[in-house]
Amino acid sequence: MAQSLGEDLVQDDSSSLGSDSELSGQGPYRQADRYGFIGGSSAEPGPGHPPADLIRQREMKWVEMTSHWEKTMSRRYKKVKMQCRKGIPSALRARCWPLLCGAHVYQENNPDTYQELAKAPGDPQWMETISRDLHRQFPLHEMFVSPQGHGQQGLLQVLKAYTLYRPEQGYCQAQGPVAAVLLMHLPPEEAFWCLVQICELYLPGYYGPHMESVRLDAEVFMALLRRLLPRVHKHLQQVGVGPLLYLPEWFLCLFARSLPFPTVLRVWDAFLSEGVKVLFRVGLTLVRLALGTAEQRLACPGLLETLGALRAIPPAQLQEEVFMSQVHSVALSEQDLQREIKAQLAQLPESTSGPPPRPKARLAGAQAIFEAQQLARARGGTRPEVPRIVVQPPDEPRPPRRKPQTRGKTFHGFLTWSKGPPLTGPPRSHRSSTSFSDTRF
Amino acid sequence: MGNGTEEDYNFVFKVVLIGESGVGKTNLLSRFTRNEFSHDSRTTIGVEFSTRTVMLGTAAVKAQIWDTAGLERYRAITSAYYRGAVGALLVFDLTKHHTYAVVERWLKELYDHAEATIVVMLVGNKSDLTQAREVPSDEARMFAENNGLLFLETSALDSTNVELAFETVLKEIFAKVSKQRQNSTRTNAITGSAQAAQEPGPGEKRACCISL
Repeated sequence: MAQSLGEDLVQDDSSSLGSDSELSGQGPYRQADRYGFIGGSSAEPGPGHPPADLIRQREMKWVEMTSHWEKTMSRRYKKVKMQCRKGIPSALRARCWPLLCGAHVYQENNPDTYQELAKAPGDPQWMETISRDLHRQFPLHEMFVSPQGHGQQGLLQVLKAYTLYRPEQGYCQAQGPVAAVLLMHLPPEEAFWCLVQICELYLPGYYGPHMESVRLDAEVFMALLRRLLPRVHKHLQQVGVGPLLYLPEWFLCLFARSLPFPTVLRVWDAFLSEGVKVLFRVGLTLVRLALGTAEQRLACPGLLETLGALRAIPPAQLQEEVFMSQVHSVALSEQDLQREIKAQLAQLPESTSGPPPRPKARLAGAQAIFEAQQLARARGGTRPEVPRIVVQPPDEPRPPRRKPQTRGKTFHGFLTWSKGPPLTGPPRSHRSSTSFSDTRF
Repeated sequence: MGNGTEEDYNFVFKVVLIGESGVGKTNLLSRFTRNEFSHDSRTTIGVEFSTRTVMLGTAAVKAQIWDTAGLERYRAITSAYYRGAVGALLVFDLTKHHTYAVVERWLKELYDHAEATIVVMLVGNKSDLTQAREVPSDEARMFAENNGLLFLETSALDSTNVELAFETVLKEIFAKVSKQRQNSTRTNAITGSAQAAQEPGPGEKRACCISL
């Protein structure tokens, strides 16, 4: 079966520039940049890139932390979180990403699963759709240029394996770019398990047939905009730009198609550590960079100009160091986010099709995943389970909203902490990165 | 055409591209608005759009063309996509019969979300792949006629009929808009002042986005 697929692909790609230049060196051969993008601009480390000795120091820290991972996660998660925010050294992402997302545990506990999935024939309907998309993911990256290369073949294997592992979920096109970035760093089996973790623990309800959590998060994003960037929110309302016009590609692809590649990797470092909150912070930062000033909004009198502005942020502002420091200072805590999610979930209209979103099925990052895995092991299970207690919103009217803790923060439409608390924040009662605890219980 | 603050087009028509994943919507968009085609254009995941201004007679019409993901599950998040659309190109791949077989489903999706008066053209794309055709022209043309749709076969790769397809849809929309304006003027004469108040005053700009 792999044979016939190969034939199909060669036929479709007989006029593809990519495969021609691979085989015959036709045309001016363009240099691939340090990330593998042909003609890419990341040839040299950009300005603000840390010096070599700092990178060495960080590498040594990570080697040390990862050689006693359980001890590190049990006692020194704060350090992991900080180091992820600073950026994992390129040489160590392959080692650290599976650990952060807990994929290594799944792989250890299910040593034969991937091999079986890889050998099994895929559902023909999914296979056709996946194959059609293979040359359309990162077509400018040298790894994915050739249909017979390990990039496209790896992508085929990983995506096929997922449709067999979760047939009720099937294939979502956004899994392509996500799997591709994983495959740029990891062999297919590790990439597969990381994809599983992202689709099931970090972002459940994103990649399935109804994408219900994408719709919920779009509402949450708008509500956060209203609170943190009220003038921008008003502008977006006036020109009719709803979040579904720009948010899905951002969140579904974890910004892999929307930011310069070095910045994408930094976002992923933070996302695998801290969860979906990072996606919201990045989104809010992008919106502020595009439309935060009155001049910018004046230059966007209508819907098209506004959407255009969101896509045309000057690359210098998206450079990894400049950008990530703003992301990490967005005034949005895990608690704030969970509160808003709960509020929006309660207001979501009854959907006639598809299941309701279940944000509580979401694990907020590496620490939550680690704790869930420890719990499962303590119970003697081999499969760490996400707690499936679903808390129904109560029927009685909500108590009057208590004014949120604003000590040390100013919210006058500014997005980031002003002279407020340091990143770790003052001690607060609900500080853990696991989900919002319902005080009724 | 006037000072910097005036718009240099009279009308904006929003046209959406719909149809199964892989039929060529994104390349039709790029061929029409930028005269570009790529074998490896990325899968469309969010919403893409591009514009091009064309002259229809003496009127400058800005075509605002929208493109989105064709895969079924995206329909859950793209209903906002149809809002305000006055035209649609329902695209299928001439070389893949299953993309034609689902055209009725796409029509239903369209009518569920868009205005009933929307101008629709059925487009059979990839006409350059003559050896691989799986949908006979006559069959598709008949279906279009029976359902009140315009019909053309195009190739985004070699540009065949791409301009014609978009221009035909835009002309059709323009004709409807002109007729509607004529009708409302006639109604003014009958009903008198109440309607006249809705016409733009001497200093006001004309309404820019028309929805039928």
